[in-house]
Amino acid sequence: MKMKRIMALVMASIMGASLLTACGGSGGSTETTTAAAAAAGSEKDIQPTTITFWHGMNNKQEQSLTELTEKFNAENEYGITVELVNQGSYSDLQTKLMANAAADTLPDIAQAYNNYFTDYVDKVVALDDFVKNDYPDWDDILESYRTENSEYGKITGVPFNKSTYLFFYNKTMFDELGLEAPKTWDDLQHIGEVILEKKGLAAIGYDSMCDMLEAALRQHGEQYVDETGALFNTDGGLETLEFIMNMYNSGYARLVGEDNYFSDSLSNGMIGGYVGSSTGVSYISTDIEGKEFELGVCPVVGDKTNAAYNAGTNIVMFAKDANNQKAAWEYMKFMTSKESTIKWAMDTGYLPIRTSAYESDEYKAFMEGDITAQAAYEQAPYGFVSKASFTGSNEIRNVVSTTLNELITDKADAQTALDTLVAAVNDVLK
Amino acid sequence: MNRRSFKGYAYLAPVLVIMLVFTAYPLVKAIFMSFCENYSIINGSYKGINLENYKDLFDDKLFIRALGNTTLYVAFVVPLSVVISLIIANLLNSHIKFQGLFQTLYFLPYVTSVIAIGVVWRWIMNSNYGLLNYILGFFGIGPIGWLSDPKYSMTSLIIFAVWKSLAFNIMIFLAALQGISPDLYAAARVDSTPRLRVFFKITVPAMMPIIAYAFIMGIINAFKVYNEVFSLFNSKAGPVNNEAITIVYYIYDQFYNNYKYGIAAAGSVVLFLLIMLFTMIQRLPGRIKAKKEAAQK
Repeated sequence: MKMKRIMALVMASIMGASLLTACGGSGGSTETTTAAAAAAGSEKDIQPTTITFWHGMNNKQEQSLTELTEKFNAENEYGITVELVNQGSYSDLQTKLMANAAADTLPDIAQAYNNYFTDYVDKVVALDDFVKNDYPDWDDILESYRTENSEYGKITGVPFNKSTYLFFYNKTMFDELGLEAPKTWDDLQHIGEVILEKKGLAAIGYDSMCDMLEAALRQHGEQYVDETGALFNTDGGLETLEFIMNMYNSGYARLVGEDNYFSDSLSNGMIGGYVGSSTGVSYISTDIEGKEFELGVCPVVGDKTNAAYNAGTNIVMFAKDANNQKAAWEYMKFMTSKESTIKWAMDTGYLPIRTSAYESDEYKAFMEGDITAQAAYEQAPYGFVSKASFTGSNEIRNVVSTTLNELITDKADAQTALDTLVAAVNDVLK
Repeated sequence: MNRRSFKGYAYLAPVLVIMLVFTAYPLVKAIFMSFCENYSIINGSYKGINLENYKDLFDDKLFIRALGNTTLYVAFVVPLSVVISLIIANLLNSHIKFQGLFQTLYFLPYVTSVIAIGVVWRWIMNSNYGLLNYILGFFGIGPIGWLSDPKYSMTSLIIFAVWKSLAFNIMIFLAALQGISPDLYAAARVDSTPRLRVFFKITVPAMMPIIAYAFIMGIINAFKVYNEVFSLFNSKAGPVNNEAITIVYYIYDQFYNNYKYGIAAAGSVVLFLLIMLFTMIQRLPGRIKAKKEAAQK
């Protein structure tokens, strides 16, 4: 009788703890897959095969990706078929990749940010030999993307859907108040003062707080974070936080609050402008009745130097089979070719990854009619990508964002903000 | 083992195997993981077997906050939900017009995706143009930053969760109400017993087992709250800095975003023990009663 009761209890508790199953997963295989890339270039013997590509693209982005992939499937001479598998959102993709890394059932290739695979970088195929032997114009790819994909000490991927953070603003309001697109920190502060005084609104918002901090530090000639901890516990770091906290504490800038993104606030005339992803432009409505305005887009401001935050994923390879690796590489070359990246950029609003694509007549003509693309092109030379190739990088992103939110809500002073942020970052890495 | 019991076990085997693989194994594995320092889910390696994860867990202010929030959530959501649904179920069971329509309406939240409900509630609770503040405005209250002010995070979450959990409770209570013998009510009418007395002396005692069931299930589910937080705060755990984080949210975050598998496992074990403890406490009154009855015989 007693046994039965205990069993019942355990069963009830198991129901409660059934979420544990999610944490199960196998831990068996420890084999590494830094399989040496076959010396391609000379003569290729690729057997017909099917490559699986896990991605997180939706709507028109998925449509364009499908078109490009179908083109590749139809035209490649080796009988390679690339099968697209939509895994939902980025965070779904991230969790599924992790679970499958644990189960050793990763797809041949996948979209990924560098911080997805800090824990399983040894399962990512090193592409150095492929690039060296079978990629004629690697230097044509923008430098920040090449740096990003070499962060782990080997080439881990090729750049794919790239965006950058731009300043979107209500040009109608700016014109009315005699304001111009900001170029420096001082301009930004001036805009903040005027809009707050005349309109009673905040002038600036940032969709991503951790990226805002890193960009501001770099603009001020400072460094952000690496695997040893926070690098901004300096005089320059303090000056940067003085600028940031002053913007928020004076009401020139505000947090996104309950809106999802600032594109909503801008559309509703509830903010002067904001810094957000270049791909977010399609979420800005300039024609809400009674709130119509003209949209302005410009590069993000600079201070001692210019620095613009780049975002977007790369395509990485997990294939173990040598033939599949070679086949996947053909696809990766195709997707990053000048023609493909131009089509991709024009279809989706992502950015071309090649200098030659930016300079092509086709894309130049497209930019004529697209102010977002123009602004992105303008700041392309000083784009950077946050370092993510160390354990804890993903956690630091979250911690810095929430800590900054809290400091701003508490109206902290610059020194407190600096100390709290440095401690929060170092706490993750301790 | 005689032949008959062998046959019995053979019938049970498929279920047992499935449960062993999908429930018992992960449970044991998670308990094991929780003692492994720096456990890696990718290759199963770890630095040593010790209590480091539990130490980190209880040193983490965020986990302590998650514990507090979850307790608060359980303490408010479960009783409120049971009481309110008991009242609504009784009203629905009385002879009102459009009874079927109302029953359907109250049951809708149960069959609707919590993510979709979250979208609607985010609009209702919006501080600038939300319905809730609009209505409160008539009484001169607000506007309140339900979803933007950290002070109100838990209040908003609890309101949302109570509303969401009503549907299931109302449904089982309605079923139980309809199972009560009409003779009892007829007898009460003969004695012209006041309605409130009928409710407390006939309805509630007759429904006691199902109310107890609603409590147990409610508490187990409330301890596991995650979806409600995720959907109400738009895939965050609160407006500023995880004000409404719950234990499961914390576990998920540690596992999938911070890649701290051991700490996540330790969190799961703590949650497991908590649920077990509460379930034990809840079963106490029933056991005492059973013992008393046995003694009387």
